[in-house]
Amino acid sequence: MAISTITAGLLTLAILSFLYRDNPIYKVAESLLVGVSIGYFLVITWSTTLMDLLFIPLFSEHKISLVIPFILGLLMFGRFFKGTSHISRIAIAVLIGSGAGAAIPAMLNARTLQQISATIQPILLESGWLDISAIVVIAGVLSTLAYFYFSREHTGSFGWVAKGGTYFLMAFCGTTFGYTVMSRMSTFIGRMEFLLSDFLHLTQ
Amino acid sequence: MTKITSRHYVFAGLFAVVTVSMMLNYSPDTVVSAETQKMYDFVESLPAGSTLIISFDHEASSLPEIRPLALAVLRHAFRNDIKLIGTALLSEGTGVGYRLMQQTANEFNKSYGVDYVYLGFKPQYIAAILSMGESISRTYPVDYLGKTYSEHPMLKDIDTYNDIAGVISIADGSLTTHWIEYGNARFGVRISAALTAAMVTTYDPYLSSGQLEAIVGGLRGAAEYEKLLNIGGGGKRGMLAQTASHLYVLILVIAGNVMYFRRRSSGRGNT
Repeated sequence: MAISTITAGLLTLAILSFLYRDNPIYKVAESLLVGVSIGYFLVITWSTTLMDLLFIPLFSEHKISLVIPFILGLLMFGRFFKGTSHISRIAIAVLIGSGAGAAIPAMLNARTLQQISATIQPILLESGWLDISAIVVIAGVLSTLAYFYFSREHTGSFGWVAKGGTYFLMAFCGTTFGYTVMSRMSTFIGRMEFLLSDFLHLTQ
Repeated sequence: MTKITSRHYVFAGLFAVVTVSMMLNYSPDTVVSAETQKMYDFVESLPAGSTLIISFDHEASSLPEIRPLALAVLRHAFRNDIKLIGTALLSEGTGVGYRLMQQTANEFNKSYGVDYVYLGFKPQYIAAILSMGESISRTYPVDYLGKTYSEHPMLKDIDTYNDIAGVISIADGSLTTHWIEYGNARFGVRISAALTAAMVTTYDPYLSSGQLEAIVGGLRGAAEYEKLLNIGGGGKRGMLAQTASHLYVLILVIAGNVMYFRRRSSGRGNT
């Protein structure tokens, strides 16, 4: 059996031992997970980003324009010292400014405008029949929005509409919870398959 | 010595249910959902020789659920002679993605650089997606193995999303949203997603609005995809355990409610 399979099997069992109670073996496996993840991220970022996109183009290929991001990156290290921590704000300001500039129009378009457009659909099909799903979507959106409208007391007919919104929300929460259970079971099943077949050779 | 509580019995029961189901080595039949069929049809509609980006946007912890899904999609693409570019927007997905692509490429005798390339990870996913829309070669001057972009014959005529048939994001979180917001909305590239089941409801509205081309989700999605491909795999193998574990949870929910109402009616507390 390969050493990687033995390591993965033992670490899986170590993590599963937490289901009985917290213990040192679990703690070792948990610390390994955190350490390896961070180490892997640093190595990958160093080799595929800092080297490929900054150091090699700047120092070997002399792409002078990269001096700007290089200096901005260096400014971030100012945070390590009390006297120079303020200079890191310049780099953070550039990061937030450019990030927000890119994100706001994109999010408005994809998450709001296109979603509103998809909500407002004809409620009559070409055959002349009512499109039940389009009606349910419109009812769900309006009643849920009513539930989150807090400038008016939820009484009378408005209260009934808002109450309807809670049922749509509960249906969504129930569906999401069901899918989450399915997801966690899938992960457990996947790991059990590894333990039973690759590690213990009990199944094919 | 830790006191054995009901929690331990619940875990032990689940362990027994899943182990016995897997030992039975039986795969129940699955009904292909419209969503999975849509993903299959999307890949099937692409002409041989077209190029897809497969982005491994997940953490290593999702591998047990993601693996059967990713393998099914990769096998379908390679079977149809579609060229693949592998990327990763999360560092942990990088090594996993390379291994999965290499494994499936070997199954179909596909050559690195000719039939598939693995470009690897870039941090700052928004910047990475936008930058690829301007120039993939500038975003990834070298690939995961350290070879330069121009070394690969299959990348000769590929530099922006205009040269790509679509992106399939294999994800366990919100990163597919960024492909939709920046890749689809900004550059018009077709986005599909192979997701963990927990994320399916998050992306359903994007599927309904047409911002997502197709979704295949969870172990069930993998089993359905394997059925469409007429192959075996982790999805099919896990379906009996999945069904049994769901029944087990259902029984626990019903039993918990019965116990709660009995306790309440006998006046022993209402919490």
